[in-house]
Amino acid sequence: EDELDLYPISQEVADNAYSTGTQIEAALTGVYESFQSSQYYAWDFVMAEDIRSDNYYAGGDNPEIFAYDRVDLSPTNSRVNALWASVYNAISKANLVLEKTPEVTENITEERKDQILGEAYFLRAYHYFVLVKNFGDVPLYINFVSSADPADTRLPRSSKEEVYAQIVSDLNNALTRLPDTYGSDASVNKARATKGAANALLAKVYAQMPTPDYTAVLAHANAVINSPAGYSLLSNYDELFDGNHYNNAESIIEIQYLGGNEGNWGPQMHLPPSVSGDNWRKFTTPSHDLVDAFDSEGDNIRKNATILFENVSWVDEYWGNATNSSVPFAYKWRNAGSWASSDDIYLLRLADIILMKAEAQNELGQTADAATTVNLVRNRAGLANLNSDATASQSAMRMAILKERRLELAQEGHRWSDLVRFGMAQEVMNSVDDIDLSTGQSVNYAVDEHDLLMPIPQAEINRNPNLEQNPGY
Amino acid sequence: QEKEITGTVTESASGMPIPGANVTVKYTANGVATDFDGKYSITASPTDTLVISYIGFTTQEFLVGNKTTFNVALAENAQALSEVIVVGYGTQKREDITGAVGLVKSEAFDERPNTDLGSLVQGQAAGVKVIKSSGKPSAGFNIRVRGTSSITGSSDPLYVIDGVPTTDTRSLNPSDIESISILKDASSAAIYGAGGANGVVLITTKKGSSEKPVFQFSSYVGVSSVWKTLDVLNAEQYRDLMTEMGKTTDWSQYTNNTDWQNEIFQDAISQNYQLSVSGKQNGTQYYISGGYVNQEGAVRSAEMEKYNFKTNLSKEVTDWLKIGTNINYTVYGDVDVTDNAAVNQGGVLLGVLATPPNIGIYNENGTFTSNPFQDWENPYSSTDGSDRGYKNQRLLGNVYTEFRFVKDLKFKSNFGIDYNADRYDYFLDPFRTSYGRATNGIGRYNTNINNYFIWDNTLSYKKQFGDHKIEALAGTVYQKYRWEYSSIERRNFASAEITTPGAGSEIITANAGKSEAANASILARLVYDYKNKYLLTANFRRDGSSKFGPNKKWGNFPSVSVGWRISNESFLENVEELTELKLRAGYGAVGNDNIATYAYLARVGSGGNYPIGGTAQPGTYPATIANYDLQWESSNQLNVGLDLRLFDSKISFSVDGYVKTNDNLLLDAPLPTGTGFSSAIQNVGRVQNKGLEFQLNTTTLQKGDFTWETSANISFNRNEVQDLVGQELYDGNVAGRGEVSLIREGEALGTFYGYVWGGVDPQTGDVYYIDQNGESTFNPTADDRTIIGNANPDFTYSLGNTLSYKNFGLNIFLQGSQGNDIFNATRVNMEGMIDSKNQFTSVLDRWQNPGDVTDIPRVLEGDIRNSLASDRYVEDGSYLRFKAVTLSYNLPKTFLEKVKLTTFKLYVTGENLITITDYSGFDPEVNAFGGSNTVQGVDFGTYPQTRNIIFGMNLTF
Repeated sequence: EDELDLYPISQEVADNAYSTGTQIEAALTGVYESFQSSQYYAWDFVMAEDIRSDNYYAGGDNPEIFAYDRVDLSPTNSRVNALWASVYNAISKANLVLEKTPEVTENITEERKDQILGEAYFLRAYHYFVLVKNFGDVPLYINFVSSADPADTRLPRSSKEEVYAQIVSDLNNALTRLPDTYGSDASVNKARATKGAANALLAKVYAQMPTPDYTAVLAHANAVINSPAGYSLLSNYDELFDGNHYNNAESIIEIQYLGGNEGNWGPQMHLPPSVSGDNWRKFTTPSHDLVDAFDSEGDNIRKNATILFENVSWVDEYWGNATNSSVPFAYKWRNAGSWASSDDIYLLRLADIILMKAEAQNELGQTADAATTVNLVRNRAGLANLNSDATASQSAMRMAILKERRLELAQEGHRWSDLVRFGMAQEVMNSVDDIDLSTGQSVNYAVDEHDLLMPIPQAEINRNPNLEQNPGY
Repeated sequence: QEKEITGTVTESASGMPIPGANVTVKYTANGVATDFDGKYSITASPTDTLVISYIGFTTQEFLVGNKTTFNVALAENAQALSEVIVVGYGTQKREDITGAVGLVKSEAFDERPNTDLGSLVQGQAAGVKVIKSSGKPSAGFNIRVRGTSSITGSSDPLYVIDGVPTTDTRSLNPSDIESISILKDASSAAIYGAGGANGVVLITTKKGSSEKPVFQFSSYVGVSSVWKTLDVLNAEQYRDLMTEMGKTTDWSQYTNNTDWQNEIFQDAISQNYQLSVSGKQNGTQYYISGGYVNQEGAVRSAEMEKYNFKTNLSKEVTDWLKIGTNINYTVYGDVDVTDNAAVNQGGVLLGVLATPPNIGIYNENGTFTSNPFQDWENPYSSTDGSDRGYKNQRLLGNVYTEFRFVKDLKFKSNFGIDYNADRYDYFLDPFRTSYGRATNGIGRYNTNINNYFIWDNTLSYKKQFGDHKIEALAGTVYQKYRWEYSSIERRNFASAEITTPGAGSEIITANAGKSEAANASILARLVYDYKNKYLLTANFRRDGSSKFGPNKKWGNFPSVSVGWRISNESFLENVEELTELKLRAGYGAVGNDNIATYAYLARVGSGGNYPIGGTAQPGTYPATIANYDLQWESSNQLNVGLDLRLFDSKISFSVDGYVKTNDNLLLDAPLPTGTGFSSAIQNVGRVQNKGLEFQLNTTTLQKGDFTWETSANISFNRNEVQDLVGQELYDGNVAGRGEVSLIREGEALGTFYGYVWGGVDPQTGDVYYIDQNGESTFNPTADDRTIIGNANPDFTYSLGNTLSYKNFGLNIFLQGSQGNDIFNATRVNMEGMIDSKNQFTSVLDRWQNPGDVTDIPRVLEGDIRNSLASDRYVEDGSYLRFKAVTLSYNLPKTFLEKVKLTTFKLYVTGENLITITDYSGFDPEVNAFGGSNTVQGVDFGTYPQTRNIIFGMNLTF
């Protein structure tokens, strides 16, 4: 009989996998690892935010990504399903850490336990923020699911208000538990969630929620800006992306890569042949609209840090319908690293939060203060202060902030959410004038109300009959 | 005057005594049985006739006269009726079998390519479907006995080689096989309990049988080729298509007109050499063989190679002790090619079709050329751009010993092992291929070591009391599995000189792990025979598996079957034409535990590492959900059959009907991914297979030197998912168009699912579909998908004719499948016109101008809406195939005597010479999803079955 009681040799079993401090640390590391293993954080966030918007074309050869570019997502698009599934997988791991940490007694201090809980709360909030922005109402799994009982597994969608309430609650829980820093090592402080990260995310969350609370946005943005962690804008914008200055003072939290088996495959997907070493048509092609936006501001520093032009052997239906045309490339990751790049990805950085502060100031009627705040970011990029047209009114200031965010944060996964938050998605997308050179036709994005949310993946509806599809799909 | 008569009854072949033989005085009730030494003593008068009989031997009669001693040597009854068939843990005479057992003898495949067992068994037994999902030399096969019965568990049968169970059949050497018994119903498979739910394939290898040593040498050489090519656009037509798509390039760079099918498909050579010696002397039986097979693929670079060595030995040490061993050592190697993948994923077959003819093979600098518009390299980069080699060394065998404690009671102990070490080497050229240049070369080295042992002990008892004959068996079995693996990958090589990973500078993967599983069982069987008319077999097995939860570790598997040999009833005794008429019926339960080890536990995976502080920290993740109630998938089967033999077995006919219901399916049921898990293994659902099988063998004509024998079978199986706890499952994501297979209550596994194609709008050239309300729409939603086909055939059949005249023989073996659908996803790729892939010539009829009436839509770059997975791609996959045609010639005896040979046969065999089918693809016998339970009959650039011709010889001396 005993011969049949076999336990895994190369795996742990849940009953004994979370008893010591090092084990719960490993479980927490596993939550962070989702930033690497989830296709969404590796690359698809660029599709969801930048390709879906007016910033980039799809490039490449994948019809499912073309659908993002056309803002024509179908419930059966496997990338939408991968986004849903991989982000919820990360949430499940965070739920597990939240559930198991209080029971750990061996080899751990109470202080560290508190921090671990804080980190897990932050991570769960970050992931739910991604879901609620993309799908609206989503089911709230806040307990680790350990049975296949449909009562536990088939949750209906919670309203986005409830989801935001959960996010805010998690972030407040994180705020009380997280330290400003874990010591002096930046490669720890920028890897782990900190008080600064929780404040930064709260600032963004309060602005994005259905009924924004700009006072809270302002307060949390200021908490970041004035943090004892000492966040500051890098003087040289290009250093953010040159690959030699990760975990810098401007970074609040970023996805860590080392290359090799801790490598990032994303950069190879869009770097030009001269950098990537291969000659196939790349994904994520900067749009005319984006290039024009940089040019209209005379913003060369950020343009050159964001986009690289190169003559290529393939044809591009937007940039050159002949071989050897000059085609722009997404350039905010610089090292292809043979599909295993050591380039990090910023989850939150100070310039974003400074602009969130400006947004709050403007919405609270402090338009002049907002201009001062925006100018911090502009001046760093070598641009003059906002002109008087931009500062003339609250609404003009709003547009100036939206544009500033675009130029500052292109390719970093913000644009679509910004357009939606500013209520500009339909207007902006439907006025884009892109000509498809292969047909000579103007591209009509035809974005309507339903396009503002992604469809709930059909595969998930098949598994969970309690889910209702978003309208219009 | 009565006197005492004594004597010994022996087996004529071996001279061994026969205990338990019947010695009776004819027309009286006077009878005795021989003792342990075959001796008997009986009283009779000189005018009496003695009848000496023993089951399976020809009965002899003697007039007593004035003799007092009769030593009798009984000869084994040569008639097919008494054929001994290997069944679980023993043998049974064919006439005594009450279950459903299919039998394939080595003669059926002596003259066939010796590459794998699957194609040899195909069509040979009713109700046994062999799935050859790919024609690759490295492809294995799957057998489905009476349909697909599981959903996420395995539906493959258990293979048992000389008493050692196994799942890997690739390295088996067909020429060592004596016979294959396929236990189809629950009553015959129940003795294998938990392993028996999908049927059991018992493989018995050859043993020595004649006093004189027999040397056998056989060899063939052959050629195989793809039997059909498909029409794709030529260079000019491709250029027109691209231009229409709005794509321009410098066409002066692309002036070739390469026929990629001609470049990649080849006439592949195969060769085979087998040598064996066997014999039986002084109680020692031996069979020793060695062989070599090499098979090139009809697709460039594919290859398979096998060396095998086998020894079967047994020795009667004393009259109460027998020992023996069977040892099989194989070195198997293959080179795989990627199929079932699009050109941009390195799929060779779709690369062959989708690569435009306009480019050549190599660029000037020696690198592989690419599609003019995207860096999809030509198929040579897949076949020649990397070194790929799989090699498996395997030791499979057993030692056993048999004690005869007392007369009638035998104890057998058997210890078997299956030790398997394989490795996979891979090296991607750092210069010639695009991916290789990006990574500076990739070197991989993966190893697996699989260790298995089985120890079974059985006690068997055999006794005849007058009209009652009893055989009983009881035993225990313990089995243990251990798997170990490691994998290494490095990149960044300085050159292509060293191809092992050590030469690369960057470690991508360095992994190793181990796992185990164990089973313990007790088993029992009772066979009872009354007057050779009424037969009963009862089995019981109790199985415990480490894979199941503490609450449900053990399962019980009983079965019972009965037979009535009607032809032995007095009212039929005088019907001369009737050789045998037997009615059989059985019912039983068997189990399936074919799931991942540790399945019931909540496992926590490691390797979820993440850099914190500049170095990777160890990370874990929850991998599975616990299920302490996880238990056996159970299969209950009712079988009713009839065997009829007429005219001295010149005609034999069997029919079997069955209902097989699998309950508590081991279903890896999808979970909402919101839970963090994509599935959890549960016992839910029910699948039923029911069917009818007919088998007919006749000696159609026998006249002088001419013989014509025919065998035919036809099988009908209906599969139905009866319960899926209200869920629907989808599977078979193909060609970037989502899932095409549906699993739904009331439907069969292998049901196709998709949109309903309406037609091409003459105004816009766009495809309209029919929605769920029967209305046409250009933008169907996911809910408009419906059932569009079924991969299950209405029936499968085969027909074999063997003609021989003097020294010539002709064997024609036909095999077919009727009424099955194929989802031709190759056409989705090759008629979609969404990107710069070359297309089938059918797109020449594409819509180009308003008013064009056609069924091929317009070009539409980057958009799949005109090529959604729809019934347009569902084709009739029925086929009838000349599976094997063999012409053979035995050299005349007079000549053989001069050169001291016993037999010398020359033959030529053609496989798949003619295939009659309406299917438009390369071959109807494919599945991109291999032996999947749920996704069947999908063709997506799948390596086709090939046409093979071999020239061979068999000689013995």
